Amino acid sequence: MPLKWVLHWQPNAGTTVSSQILSEVSQCVESINGVKEGRWRATLTFYKPHTREQLMAAEFPRDFLGILLPEQPNKYYFIIRGQRIVLEADSSIQTLMEKLQSYKTRVALHFDGFQYQLGDFQLRVGKVVPTHSENLRGIVMEVEYLPISSVEKAKQIMEEFLDIWREAISKRSLPGHFMHMEPNFVEYGLTDHYTSQHTAVQYATVMAQLIATVQAVQSVRN
Amino acid sequence: MRPQQPQHQQQHQLEAAANPNPDPAQSGEAPPKQVALAMDRLGDAARLIADIRLGADRLLEALFVAAQPHQSTKPLHLFHKEDASMRQHLQDLRSVGRQLEESGVLNESLRSRSNSWGLHMPLVCPDGAVVAYAWKRQLAGQAGASAVDRTRLALKAFTDQKRRFFPHLDDGLDGQSTESASKKHCGPQVLIGNHQEELSDYKTLSDILMHLEKEVPTLKIFTYERLDWLKRASSLPSSANETSMGTSKEHNFHSSNKLRPGSLSAVATEKISVIELLFPSIFRAIVSLHPAGSIDPDSVAFFSPDEGGSYIHSRGFSVYHVFRRITEHAAMALQYFLGSRAETALHSLLDWICSYQTLFTKVCSKCGRLLLMDRKSALLLPPVYRPYRQFSALKFSSTQPNSSASSDLAQAYHVGCFSEEA
Repeated sequence: MPLKWVLHWQPNAGTTVSSQILSEVSQCVESINGVKEGRWRATLTFYKPHTREQLMAAEFPRDFLGILLPEQPNKYYFIIRGQRIVLEADSSIQTLMEKLQSYKTRVALHFDGFQYQLGDFQLRVGKVVPTHSENLRGIVMEVEYLPISSVEKAKQIMEEFLDIWREAISKRSLPGHFMHMEPNFVEYGLTDHYTSQHTAVQYATVMAQLIATVQAVQSVRN
Repeated sequence: MRPQQPQHQQQHQLEAAANPNPDPAQSGEAPPKQVALAMDRLGDAARLIADIRLGADRLLEALFVAAQPHQSTKPLHLFHKEDASMRQHLQDLRSVGRQLEESGVLNESLRSRSNSWGLHMPLVCPDGAVVAYAWKRQLAGQAGASAVDRTRLALKAFTDQKRRFFPHLDDGLDGQSTESASKKHCGPQVLIGNHQEELSDYKTLSDILMHLEKEVPTLKIFTYERLDWLKRASSLPSSANETSMGTSKEHNFHSSNKLRPGSLSAVATEKISVIELLFPSIFRAIVSLHPAGSIDPDSVAFFSPDEGGSYIHSRGFSVYHVFRRITEHAAMALQYFLGSRAETALHSLLDWICSYQTLFTKVCSKCGRLLLMDRKSALLLPPVYRPYRQFSALKFSSTQPNSSASSDLAQAYHVGCFSEEA
């Protein structure tokens, strides 16, 4: 499948993300001739083990994530970042987990937004909000280059696109910038041929960054 | 080619054709008449196919109407009526198809006949290409017409072909309209004159393909008979499907020769009419040869390596803008190579196609960037133009033996950065 880079908004130190920034970003996409196509939504869930004893809890991984991606409605992806594990499962696994009651949802987040077509590129801009809340926690952006499926071969093109994108965004003088951190796919056992598992891993990496940012802001406040 | 058929020669040929002809249905029919009949039948077949398409639409409409609540039996009547007429159309199509097969249109059985007067039966390929010999039929079939009429018909048929194959000669956007026609014969020959010896070494299809395999190790070349390609194209996984390609039967050029014993490998080469050039993860190019086994390319198209489907053939278009642009550019490059020196056209074309292996890495030679917003189409594209005019000269005048170095010499341009001086 075509490869994709998942970017996230890194606000400048001392600032937070706002819906104003989100609308500026969307306008910027349209200014580089992006054509709005429709909505998209992904859901990410942090799990914690359902166990009474505190001791037992420590044995389980702390960062157990599950993610539902819009391009694969019949699949559900699990990631354990600490151990570099990614797993593709059928979407019915969520029902299974509820019945087993082995894991509980700690936090669930939605990535919600619009999709844009830009020739052979497909962009998605989305806000990060917890479920049952309108509190904007972050902004993510997906950049997909449709003709290529190889992570390596598309690197140069994607970097140039990112340069063009950053240049366009910088004209709006927003307090922050988009960051791309490429996870080491090989460590997760993934190949050069892009798949939804790569996307899941990228989202897990983005979440780690977002959490780190929020924690940094909180520690500054305290 | 003998466009004029004097009457006495016609009768003489008729008698000659009548005797050794094994096919009783065609005895006594001179080739022009056969060609005319075949063209008529092709026209009938096309009309039947159009009727079938319309019928299918009507059937779907009837089904849709029937699916709505509170309908009378009207859709059912419609359905029965369409069903009957569809069956009739399909029956007619089958019989026309049988007639065409017998007269050699859908295969090449007539090619070996010596008394064909230089005329070729129209060949219909599964990808829809009808071999462009209609103008011969015009002239031959109208042997009785006056010279003026014949000339007019020939000019009309030729202008249509020209508009189709030489689009850049009609619109003066690149300023090529008058220059290219006159330059075609002067310029390239002077440049290519130096290395005619090297190019003439690669005379046969196998020579060309083997040379290419050696020169460009990252390239995978596959060859096919025309119908085999259609099967392969339909079975190519599209990007949604994650199974790896190439596990199913491959007609790799070398392996198909290895499988057959020595004397039969010549037969295999003679039937090759589709060449697939695959640069894994970069692009797939399809070149069609006509006639089969020759070194005369007649069309070329580029696709993403992840595209699959029956539209993947040398006259098809990719769903991606970048490959569509390259295909358009390649059509002009092909006409240039054919026009400047037809014997080396295939070799030049394949070499030129290989210069696209740097499509996603080589920056534009004018602006130094990889991606540029094309003003006209408002799309971000990599440099999709690779010049073809002095292509042969560049490649063979390079003193470096390393093939990757010579591909660095080749230049690349964005659509907007390309200009004629390059």
